[in-house]
Amino acid sequence: MTSLSISAPSGSRLLRSGFLLPAILVAIVAILVVAPLLRILFTTLTPEGIAAWKAVLASPLSANLWWRPLLNTMILGFSVGAGCLLIGGFLAWLVVLTDVPGRRFLGLMASLPYMIPSFAAALAWGTLFRNSRLGGSAGFFETSGLAIPDWLAWGLIPTAIVLIAHYYSLAYTIIAAALSSVGADLVEAGQMAGAKRPRIFFGIILPVVTPALIAAASLTFAGAVANFAAPALLGLPVRMQTLSTRLFGMIETGQNERGFVLALLLIAVSALFLWLSDRIVSGRKAFITVTGKGGRTKRFPLGAWRWPLFAIAVIIGFLTTVLPVLVLAASSLAPQSGAVFSNWTLHFWIGEGGGEMAQGQAGIFRNPVLIDAIWNTIRLGLVVAFTTMLLGLGLAYTIVQRRGSLLATLLSQLAFLPLLVPSIAFAAAYIALFGAPIGPLPSLYGTFALLVIAASAHNLPFAVQSGRSVLGQISADIEESARLTGAGLIRRLFAIIFPLAIRGLFAGAILVFVKMVRDLSLVVLLFTATSPVLSMVAYRYAAEGFLQFANAITLVILVVCLAASFVAHSLQNRVQKWKAP
Amino acid sequence: MLKKLTSAALAACFALPSLTMASDLDGLTPQQLLPLAQKEGSVTVFSLSSRIAKIEKAFEETYPGIDLIGLDMSSTKQIARVEAEQQAGVHAVDVLYIADTPVVFTKLLEGKRIVNYVPPRVANELEDRYKAPLLTQRLSTKVLMYNEKAFPDGSPVSNLWQLTQPEWQGRVLMVDPSQRGELLDLLTEIALHPDEMAAAYKAHFGKDIEVEGDLQGAGEQFIKDLFANDLILVPNSDVLNKSVGDVNAKSPPVGFGTYSDRRDNEKEGWALQIANNVEPANGILFPAVLTVADKAPHPAAARLLIDFMFGDDTPTGGAGFEPFNVPGDYATRKTIAHHPDSVKLDDLKAWTIDPAKTAAARGRIADLIITLQ
Repeated sequence: MTSLSISAPSGSRLLRSGFLLPAILVAIVAILVVAPLLRILFTTLTPEGIAAWKAVLASPLSANLWWRPLLNTMILGFSVGAGCLLIGGFLAWLVVLTDVPGRRFLGLMASLPYMIPSFAAALAWGTLFRNSRLGGSAGFFETSGLAIPDWLAWGLIPTAIVLIAHYYSLAYTIIAAALSSVGADLVEAGQMAGAKRPRIFFGIILPVVTPALIAAASLTFAGAVANFAAPALLGLPVRMQTLSTRLFGMIETGQNERGFVLALLLIAVSALFLWLSDRIVSGRKAFITVTGKGGRTKRFPLGAWRWPLFAIAVIIGFLTTVLPVLVLAASSLAPQSGAVFSNWTLHFWIGEGGGEMAQGQAGIFRNPVLIDAIWNTIRLGLVVAFTTMLLGLGLAYTIVQRRGSLLATLLSQLAFLPLLVPSIAFAAAYIALFGAPIGPLPSLYGTFALLVIAASAHNLPFAVQSGRSVLGQISADIEESARLTGAGLIRRLFAIIFPLAIRGLFAGAILVFVKMVRDLSLVVLLFTATSPVLSMVAYRYAAEGFLQFANAITLVILVVCLAASFVAHSLQNRVQKWKAP
Repeated sequence: MLKKLTSAALAACFALPSLTMASDLDGLTPQQLLPLAQKEGSVTVFSLSSRIAKIEKAFEETYPGIDLIGLDMSSTKQIARVEAEQQAGVHAVDVLYIADTPVVFTKLLEGKRIVNYVPPRVANELEDRYKAPLLTQRLSTKVLMYNEKAFPDGSPVSNLWQLTQPEWQGRVLMVDPSQRGELLDLLTEIALHPDEMAAAYKAHFGKDIEVEGDLQGAGEQFIKDLFANDLILVPNSDVLNKSVGDVNAKSPPVGFGTYSDRRDNEKEGWALQIANNVEPANGILFPAVLTVADKAPHPAAARLLIDFMFGDDTPTGGAGFEPFNVPGDYATRKTIAHHPDSVKLDDLKAWTIDPAKTAAARGRIADLIITLQ
């Protein structure tokens, strides 16, 4: 009798204290992330796999196959992570916390580069800096008589610059979301206590957004080490290989086991760095800034620096946003892909087919599948962004609630890894795992559901990282009071957590949406419908040698991404009414 | 109940012969395949070329009632997808139109994931080497290309060994062979012809070649010397064509590219031309193959489609082949005429790869290249 009365409340406490949610999440992460990873691991434990491990780690090949690419990759990862924090952080501070002119405009420009594919930035770099090493027509500087040395035209330095130009907007998006929840009361308290501006910055603002900085650094680091286009375009001519180019090459030439071994090693190395950064964050006290009282943001007056800083921000925006878009736009108008600024025509956009141009192909807006493809793309992007954020919110919530515990560390590590798994291996693992019926569950092969599940898992890191950087700032008091008044978990999530964290969540959702809309590998392997998505249409054109059409589609994708981020912005303003100026 | 049993028995009577039919299908003419294919209703094809869209239209017009579902995917992705699907017991695709034959040979054919099928209608018009181990529909190239505007007197290179000399230092381009299978196949083919490479060396330098101890044959020595002479690697053929072909270039490099890209010369402002008179060869011809997936859900329609894609009896090959009939690519079917502006297949000084042999030698060359970078 006594034992019963003891066990009953403890049982319900078990539920209430939230063991159910973590348990479900662990199961989901195990199925979505661990299972495909294990499958990839097992393929490297066959005889061919063991040989691949040996070739990569202990053979005459390993220097060129693993160590040198690793070194290049790590240099890239760290310099891009640092560069993105500096530029993204600077812009976020400028836009969110100061009275710089044209803040909306600057904010828009800063969020754009990530929506432009990284190859556009690499092409833009080539348009300016290309030297005579490859022959062909030289870049802008060489034609104007300025000799460009190889180190500036090719290799690590240009690759790092191009990747920073591409990924800083990711850092901006996350840091800006976190900064906007630094309440005015905190800053004013500092000011009243007589703290000078640097003191406030380093003593209050920086510590508060540290989780966001770590999140931004991790994601940009991962983005840089996994990026293929920039190191391939700018690195190969001087034989610079990174792990991503090596990995791509191994899979492309049929040496999958070696590719998987490289991927697993890359994951291990990155996980180590992530674990270290996690230690740094959880080792310090967490700062709670969203307390439910007053959500205004305090803006610092910049004084004489208003316009100079504005100019710097505009220059950054021009170089990283306007220039690549210009190059893309120009190359969608130029009949010759080698001379992008001459003989412009709108043929590739609206031209009628049947003529001499482009082997009689009509412009993209006359392509009957285009409208279909746009809708398919938006639908896919929205569904994946939604499911990813739902899952990410749950994960981030659990990780933040149990900060420092083994479970939180494990979940945050696992939720981060999918970004580093090559899409082709990820997709293949998903087909093999879920293509066959499992018990009573039907085969998911060829269903939209499988695509959504795989994509959600693949994009999970964005959702989790951006979610936890904002959730970490929300005071437990608010939730506690809600709990005391009897609000359940779901109620609390939707009435309290969601509105307060919406900026960070939408920031993550946008990142997922953009990635989904642009990413081809996962889609092409899992998609079976005949009406394609935009990235597949672009691939089709590019495969036929019509880069103009492909670039035009890329611009359409950019517009779709922009529209999505506008909608997200206005939605979050509607939810966070207290933020209205 | 009885009715159900009878109908089940009846169904079994019909189903049984249809089970044994798949192999018998190989001998049927298109006319005999058609009603069976129409009963199947559709056919799914993975295609390396997006021109499958044109085939879809033509096929559905010729054979109404059969829905062609074409998905364009690179060869690598096709292989990954077919492997993963069959591991899960899914048999959804019927036909693969695919290159990268050395990998197809080891991963798909030896793994019994695909079966070779030769349409009886065209069997007599194909050389034996195009019928096995895989059915070749056409041949593409990776050959030495030069700029005909900058070198109006013809190719500046007449012997591959010239490319290892100071004159061509840093002036030979190639898509990174550790990134792209066709270029790896090209270097493998060079390594597979050590005697010809040695003879070409002697013809050029006037003395016998000395091969370094850890290398096998003159072909591998050539690969090593080529890399040592600052061979420039590029990520894709687009970069290569622009660099080699630019009409305004004064002293352009040469590069191993695709002959058929020459058709874009006018559109892109290029002056790409093939260097054909090169000792011992200027590159490789490699096959694009058509093959039926194991346990294809629509076996008759699959065979009908493969038959269709070999074209009709006209010199252009008609609607079934025309989308693929570009100058610089070569149909294997003898009745289809090659483009008048391009070098005839018989005159082309390129080696044709043998998927099985290449597959066996490729790993060693892949390793060699990695150590050379």
